[in-house]
Amino acid sequence: MSRLIPTFVLGLFSALLPCSLAAKEIEFNRDIRPILSQNCFACHGPDAHERKAKLRLDTEAGSRDALTPGEPSESEMIARILSTDPEERMPPPKHGKNVKPEEAELLSEWIAQGATYSAPWAYVAPVKHPAPDLTDSWPSNWVDKFILARIREEGLSPSPDADPVTIVRRLHFDLTGLPPTPETVAEFTKNPDMANYERLVDQLLASDHFGERMAIYWLDLVRFADTVGYHGDQDHNITPYRDYVIDAFNDNLPFDRFTREQLAGDLLENPTIDQKVATGYNRLLQTSHEGGVQPKEYMAIYAADRIRNLSGVWMGGTLGCAQCHDHKFDPYTARDFYSMSAFFADIDEEQHFKVGTNALPTKRPPEIDVLSRRDRELLAELESRGADRAEIDAVKARTRRTMITMAKEPRSTRILPRGNWLDESGELVAPAIPEFLGELELAGSGRATRLDLADWLTDPQDGAGGLTARVFVNRLWYLFFGEGISSSLGDFGGQGTPPTHPELLDRLSVEFYESGWDIKHLIKLLVMSHSYRQTSIPSAELMQRDPGNRLFARQSRYRLPAELIRDNALSIGGLLNLDYGGPSAKPAQPAGYYRHLNFPTRTYQQDKGSSQYRRGVYVHWQRQFLHPMLKAMDAPSREECTARRPRSNTPTAAIVLLNDPTFIEAAESFAQRIRSEAGDSDAERLEWAFQAAVSRKPDPQEREILGRLVAENQPDPWKAVARALLNLSETNTRN
Amino acid sequence: MSQTHQISNAINRRAFLNRSGLSLGSAALTSLLSRGAASADPAHEIETGYQGLPGLPHFAPKAKRVIFLCMAGGPSHLETFDYKPKLDELDGKAMPDSFTKGQPIAQLQGQALKVQGHMTKFKRYGQSGQLISDFLPHTAKLADDICIVRSMVTEQINHDPAHTFMNTGTILSGRPSMGSWINYGLGCETEELPGFVVLTSVGGRNPQPIASRQWSAGFLPSRFQGVEFNSAGDPVHYVSNPEGVTASQQRQLVDSIQQLDRHRNTSLRDPEIDTRIAAYEMAFRMQSSVPDLVDVSDEPQHVLDMYGATPGDGSYASNCLLARRLAERGTRFIQLYHRGWDHHGELERYMGICCNLTDQPTWALVQDLKQRGMLDDTLVIWGGEFGRTPMFQGKGGPGRDHHIKGFSMWMAGGGIKPGITYGATDELGYNAVDDVVHVRDLHATMLQLTGIDHLRFSVQHQGLDSRLTGVEEARSIGGILA
Repeated sequence: MSRLIPTFVLGLFSALLPCSLAAKEIEFNRDIRPILSQNCFACHGPDAHERKAKLRLDTEAGSRDALTPGEPSESEMIARILSTDPEERMPPPKHGKNVKPEEAELLSEWIAQGATYSAPWAYVAPVKHPAPDLTDSWPSNWVDKFILARIREEGLSPSPDADPVTIVRRLHFDLTGLPPTPETVAEFTKNPDMANYERLVDQLLASDHFGERMAIYWLDLVRFADTVGYHGDQDHNITPYRDYVIDAFNDNLPFDRFTREQLAGDLLENPTIDQKVATGYNRLLQTSHEGGVQPKEYMAIYAADRIRNLSGVWMGGTLGCAQCHDHKFDPYTARDFYSMSAFFADIDEEQHFKVGTNALPTKRPPEIDVLSRRDRELLAELESRGADRAEIDAVKARTRRTMITMAKEPRSTRILPRGNWLDESGELVAPAIPEFLGELELAGSGRATRLDLADWLTDPQDGAGGLTARVFVNRLWYLFFGEGISSSLGDFGGQGTPPTHPELLDRLSVEFYESGWDIKHLIKLLVMSHSYRQTSIPSAELMQRDPGNRLFARQSRYRLPAELIRDNALSIGGLLNLDYGGPSAKPAQPAGYYRHLNFPTRTYQQDKGSSQYRRGVYVHWQRQFLHPMLKAMDAPSREECTARRPRSNTPTAAIVLLNDPTFIEAAESFAQRIRSEAGDSDAERLEWAFQAAVSRKPDPQEREILGRLVAENQPDPWKAVARALLNLSETNTRN
Repeated sequence: MSQTHQISNAINRRAFLNRSGLSLGSAALTSLLSRGAASADPAHEIETGYQGLPGLPHFAPKAKRVIFLCMAGGPSHLETFDYKPKLDELDGKAMPDSFTKGQPIAQLQGQALKVQGHMTKFKRYGQSGQLISDFLPHTAKLADDICIVRSMVTEQINHDPAHTFMNTGTILSGRPSMGSWINYGLGCETEELPGFVVLTSVGGRNPQPIASRQWSAGFLPSRFQGVEFNSAGDPVHYVSNPEGVTASQQRQLVDSIQQLDRHRNTSLRDPEIDTRIAAYEMAFRMQSSVPDLVDVSDEPQHVLDMYGATPGDGSYASNCLLARRLAERGTRFIQLYHRGWDHHGELERYMGICCNLTDQPTWALVQDLKQRGMLDDTLVIWGGEFGRTPMFQGKGGPGRDHHIKGFSMWMAGGGIKPGITYGATDELGYNAVDDVVHVRDLHATMLQLTGIDHLRFSVQHQGLDSRLTGVEEARSIGGILA
């Protein structure tokens, strides 16, 4: 399909859709599917039960009942869309949908061109597209060629490089979640060449803090939390799973193994302790320990929860929508939903209905007692060199309990009509992948397992590996560029937004699995690109033409995620505790914040000593009452899969940064540092403080504004200055 | 700020709006820069609040605000508003199987089910002659002001999901609550207080846990989430200045932050920074407006007495008084939770305690609004997340289990027909049979009264046009509208 759109259509595009950017040719998935999906599929789509007039427009064959290729004027579809008779008009006015005139024009043009369909983009195997052939010297690697080609196509240019201070800060926040030390900044800015840049990249990728940074995102996806979520929101035992995730990113555990271990570590041959801990994934869902819950009802709720999460995390899908009916926009059927849930029917989850208590933590067997991997290594070393009993016992005392997956005789799984757990009339189903994606090829004749599912998800040849890679790579891109190549991080279906750079996304996906699902390799590829190193300050032209930064002709600027805001302030204040792994930390929190919790009632026990200053990734995650600071900065409750956090900008967030005791303590400690580490004069101190907060010197006007604050707050102005600096936009922004 | 800068920011903001409905909240905060604030000091002039979605309200609203009095735990309709002579007749007898077979059931699973007669008497009150139980002598005085709905049904039989269903119309986490929806649609009339406030109190049986999910903004922008007021310590978290910091020092600090951010933005031209400067201004204002709100020393004693409120005691009575003060100041959605209504056993005793704590203040609130001429444009809703079984449960004395197939709520004020009873349950108070009102219908009605057509009020989430009323049929209840 390479015919050009006549200029009138092009004109419409550039006038009306400045941020979708002019398209050169009609592509079904990019241009037509969104219109049909949004306006037609609910009644003329995949859901057979709701289908009206036996017409389906989601398949090429079905559409022929409503259109004649090449003849828009003889096509019922167009006539009905343009009709002014409310009885005739489509979509029916009562649906509140409306095909815009320019969309109707596009549909007409598409029909005129032959009305060809393409399979949904996300479910077609990615192709290793060659990078565009460019003679330009701008690209640092092939990623840039795809980006630059598109920028040039729009008649634009990439943005200049960010200054070295911004670069070094960006890289630190992105790869470790921590600000750079002043020494690192000084060293890098002295000689910010590519060799030094690469050295920095390698160093940061090798840092323990890399895993902590990446874990924040993964824990959002898999909805990791310290509490059960429903009703009494009791604590449960799961922190070793969090540490497993951090270790996995630090070890650069290939993503296919990471997948297998979490979904089915218990089914691997002789699973290691880590692989058992990894299966905590299957236990992360919300559970209810309320008196009077009917186990059968909740087992249905849990099954649905698992499928929503699995499809969200690995498939970028909204399979959860098919719990009550066939999916409205995508080819998932209700049967697919229940067949997929049957994979998880062997997970031992019912025990808590009998033994779960209102104690903290509650009991959710199966659980095992484990040491972290580092403690296990340490213990082995201590034992091998015959260390003191006391020393050995001190390590053993750090044993923690954690939920794991154990397989039992699978429960039977029925299709629940309309999702109703009381209705037993539905058919029994066996574990199976969604029908439109094929069939599992099993070695034996037995029942398919979670391990088969994990293998299928990471098999690019015969399974859904291409899709899995695309979903994950797109999210990595989002982490390092501020927006995905497809902005629908959680919905690769028909209602999602197709990728702006489909060939690049394809190529990156292939690169990912061909590299052996090497996460660090992929991240390095992204951050070594020239695209990554651009400034985030848009030119006037870019602001006008591409305000949403869909071309990546500049970097993105956004407020740091909640945990990083905390880490950064504590780091500037010199209070941050960088201990690795372990039980969750409890920083200061307003008194009485848990007063709405019951079964049991509880008083928050703030940690004493340095553990209250641990990194945000370790903060106790109470699903019903997330720490107010994290909440104000948009950290999710982790009740559901979160692929994208909002980046809000609210008075509540301002109040937290101004007055939360942790930030006050950070400011006091920062003030102490200013007094003891900087010079004696106010001017020297001010400059030192400013540099400590944002890694650069203040300009004259900044000196003047802060100088006034110093003058107004004599005799000891440094706490006020410290608070001001910790509250700056620049301090809290990834630039 | 140069003019070009302003223009380009405005363009950017518009593009931002176009990109996704969900960006609206953040952008809208700055999008009204010119709506002159009433600040005496031009240096501190900021744009004033978000005015709601364009095109809303869809029609003239009857109610400007909603006060939802949630009796958490599920008050018994059979001891409040739903009198069934047959229930007393069958007291102690086996519950007829025809009612309960195949029905969802909570704590009574697997037990022999027997009928529990009313544990109180009912009388007719007011000119309307509405039937109200002896537990509610003050509410009884409102008989001619309220519309009792005796045919409510919900879909969830356990507390947590039932609250989630009542507040968001679904049991899936991550969906917006009704207070967030309404603020998102209509904005609110105050810039210095939150548009959606939650107040809670205890007393009665073991207090119900209430998750902050119940006032979550879900997939709507965070600024529309409910803000929970505390009865002890800071009324809103962190609203007090840190120890040793005076208001003028805090002002200087905020000024410095704003000046530095503004200076930086001369080179960045980032509309988010403008928003941030505005957010700091509003944060500073909240630091004085919130304490003003909760300081009830300007209320005359007879008003305190009417509510039965002792300032600062965190009681339901004090919360009712605060609800009125919030309503006066322009908060759009005010939700009170009283957490003591889960009466599996000793129902009589616990009903006594709960009603003693809530009946008079509820009356006082309606009365006070009425006296001030505010009841006409305030929708007041009273009810729990579900009702209680006609069957006996005996956790330490007669009580009742959770029940979802029929229960009662009442509404009053803005646009509601006063002094009527709507709908009915069957002879034992089990199933709602006449004019059944689903939670979705309640939502549709609430939206209708605030000027919103629920069918035309949606946000795209996971590909679906998500609505408070969901995808199943919902209707505004014509029979109760004035």
